[in-house]
Amino acid sequence: MSVAFSLASQSAAVSGEQAPDFTVTTITGEQISLSALRGRAVVLEWTNHQCPYVRMHYGSGNMQKTQRTLTEGGAVWISIISSAPGKQGYVSPAEAQQLATVRGSYADYVVLDPEGIIGKLYAAKTTPHMFIVAENGALNYQGAIDDIPSASRRSLKDATNLVLAAWSDMKAGKPVRRPITKAYGCTVKYSDVSG
Amino acid sequence: MPFNIYVICKVAGFHIGQRQDWQMQLININAFSWGYGVAIARKWFTQVAMKAFAVVSFMLAAPFVVAADLGKVDVSHSSATLHSEYMTAEVGETVWLGLELTPRAGWHSYWKNYGDSGAAPLFYWTLPDGVVAGEALYPTPHRMPIGPLMNYGYEEPSILLVPLVIANTYKGSSIPIALDVEWLVCEIECVPQDDTWNAEIPVSQLQIDPTASSIFRTARTALPEMAIWSADLNIYPAQSRLKIHVSESEIAGVTAAYFYPEGEGVAEYAAEQQWSITSEGLFVDMLRLEGGIEAENGNGVLVLTFDDGTERAIEVEAVIVQEVAAAAGSGAAPSVQAALPLWQAIVFALLGGMVLNLMPCVFPVLSLKAFSFIAANSKTASGRKQEGWAYTAGIWLSFMIIVATLLVIKSGGAAIGWGFQLQEPAFVGSLVLLMLLVALSLSGMFNITVGVEGAGQGLASKDGNKGAFFQGVLAALVATPCTAPLMAPAIGYALTQPAPVVFLIFSVLAFGLALPFLALSYSPALAKMMPRPGPWMEKLKEALAFPMYLTAAWLLYVFNLQAGATATLAILVALIAAVFGVWIWQSFSGRVSRGIAVVFMVGAVAGIIYQPFSAPLGTAVQGNTDIQPYSEAKLAELLAEDETVFAYFTAEWCITCKVNEQVALFTDDTQALFAENNIRMLKGDWTNRNEEIANLLADYGRAGVPLYLLFPKGQSEAIILPEILTPGIIAGAIKDIS
Repeated sequence: MSVAFSLASQSAAVSGEQAPDFTVTTITGEQISLSALRGRAVVLEWTNHQCPYVRMHYGSGNMQKTQRTLTEGGAVWISIISSAPGKQGYVSPAEAQQLATVRGSYADYVVLDPEGIIGKLYAAKTTPHMFIVAENGALNYQGAIDDIPSASRRSLKDATNLVLAAWSDMKAGKPVRRPITKAYGCTVKYSDVSG
Repeated sequence: MPFNIYVICKVAGFHIGQRQDWQMQLININAFSWGYGVAIARKWFTQVAMKAFAVVSFMLAAPFVVAADLGKVDVSHSSATLHSEYMTAEVGETVWLGLELTPRAGWHSYWKNYGDSGAAPLFYWTLPDGVVAGEALYPTPHRMPIGPLMNYGYEEPSILLVPLVIANTYKGSSIPIALDVEWLVCEIECVPQDDTWNAEIPVSQLQIDPTASSIFRTARTALPEMAIWSADLNIYPAQSRLKIHVSESEIAGVTAAYFYPEGEGVAEYAAEQQWSITSEGLFVDMLRLEGGIEAENGNGVLVLTFDDGTERAIEVEAVIVQEVAAAAGSGAAPSVQAALPLWQAIVFALLGGMVLNLMPCVFPVLSLKAFSFIAANSKTASGRKQEGWAYTAGIWLSFMIIVATLLVIKSGGAAIGWGFQLQEPAFVGSLVLLMLLVALSLSGMFNITVGVEGAGQGLASKDGNKGAFFQGVLAALVATPCTAPLMAPAIGYALTQPAPVVFLIFSVLAFGLALPFLALSYSPALAKMMPRPGPWMEKLKEALAFPMYLTAAWLLYVFNLQAGATATLAILVALIAAVFGVWIWQSFSGRVSRGIAVVFMVGAVAGIIYQPFSAPLGTAVQGNTDIQPYSEAKLAELLAEDETVFAYFTAEWCITCKVNEQVALFTDDTQALFAENNIRMLKGDWTNRNEEIANLLADYGRAGVPLYLLFPKGQSEAIILPEILTPGIIAGAIKDIS
């Protein structure tokens, strides 16, 4: 008998390395997988329509503007809702579809992840939490939408949109200057988030 | 200012940043203001602008304390009050504002580093030229786990202190303040709160507001103490290690330590932190996300919990040290030392002591004890019990002497651990002599009271007790180089603790070792089962001499490795001389012959202890040439090359180690498995003192060998294998990592 103590390091998506692959069915019933989208940049956006930070970025049009810029630039935008049933932000596919329409989202796909499988694969912690996967499958950006952790619109005028900044680096063929930043906002409402 | 003395005493010798300057000034000002015993109590409610002139006259006129502030707001899920410490400001000075945030019950606000999710309060100031708001000072935060994530913040009201620095050139008669604060409160859901304050503080002579002083005193009590210890923060790919340069005595009685990093990229907030205290200081080990944000900020707050239940929070300003390679080893790889609770260490010590009875090193001595037990059926029940306790006392006293010696040597700064005495050739040599004499006595050459001879002849109970005591001493002496399962974490824990805890743990350990025989001595049923005395006992006694001879042979082997061949020849001569002396003593009763005997014996013992021919050897690795000697650098090098490494720590005097090596490690199957998986072997030989190895053992919470570490491909975090190895355990561990 022995007593061994060890700590398990959390494995997570690492900027610059291959983004973890996943296959999932979207709210419209299509099956998508990250590996099948190779050749196009992919944006993963963790969202929760009831989170004040998400509401601010949608309410102000900041998120839609970001979505439009990237999707028109050739990226595939996937919005992911990892709220567990009964938790804030949990929606049915129909509700998710309606939200996308009402908010004028430019996302290509909306994915429900009520078991938090993709969320934990990427160690998504907050809403919003943003990831950009490059054409070659490497994770080029992960972190906050911008650099002022505020739920107030007035912050937008002084904030640098970090997703757009990473995207313009990528378009210029340069390495992303800030490949990882600290995300801010509401906790992702995983099933083991009690309350 | 005359009050500087107080401040200088408090911070003398330490780096003082600007923030501290503010705190210092505050202390000054507090002291200063108390001098104004007659201070007119008045608090300003300055949502409305005021003129300085009016202020003064109003103050003098108003006899009552009007508790007020710069404004309280009730927002949906919290309330917030902006306090000012001063009624009037002064050019060239700093005035302090306090923002008190009170979340609704069950809700919480956030520290400046909110952890995994959340947001810190944001301050938007509109201030006149010449007035600058500094960074807010936050009270010591708490941990708030939210499912798999961790937040840092406050579930209770918290006061954030913000300094307003007024330039010497400021000309205004008052300072108009417009402040917009956005702060987040969350339960599970989050609600951002937002409000604005407009206030004005008159400028004349700095005047504290007595009604606010208790608020600010409370706020300052809740702040962490200023950084008083220097610190390093080593950042490894997947871990980080905070090292606080503090002496053990300064933080005696610490039962828990936690580091709240201020910056990102230092720790995974939800992962447990491990801490340990060594002679080098206090260490806190954290996991960090590999490939995550680069750590750039070594600041944070260290919270220490003490055994009397008190807590101390201290600011840390650590120097970031980036460790590029996955390094490992003493002082390099983050250890995985677990902070055992005391009760658990005690339980481990007791069980470990009992299991020690089964370890190979104690076996010869225990067979002696077993024999005297079998032979004890002629004794009374109370006699047996007495012997049981005498045996226990022998073990306990020996342990205490060894531990006391260990502590004394350790306090001198030597890196030693449990079993240290066997690193001294003089001790090993003396033990050889002792074993030889006991063995010869058992063989019937002469009689020393070891509680066995004369068994069945109605030995006086007094002699029986003496014998039992001696057996206890012997058991303790041979047991110390062994570590049994469970014992290792207990000892490793004990040796980082203050002396009373050390003695407590080792007392429990000694008791555990004695317990089986002590318990047996209380069993009348067992005593009845023992066979009748007879001539067989003499034969059995003689037979027991042989395990003792073997023990002596093993110790001689250890001695040979430690002191070299010449010294071994010398000790053999000394042993023979001692035996010759004993023989003369026994054979002749004349005064002269007794004198000669004493000369021989004393000379032999002196020769063994002084060792004129000792020539310590290097720790050469023998046998398998693929095995390299352990060093911190070598391990780091192999891990940097992405090798899988098996590091084993052993000593020639450690029988458990030797047995493990024979039955599990150096079997053909295991070696083939190592070759197949390209596992590189490192041997840490602790036969002689070695600080690097002692440090590594301490890093893993151990005070002795054996220790088996399997580092999976290039990872600095090792899998710890049990103290007792089987080929199956090794194979299983290798399978798990491949």
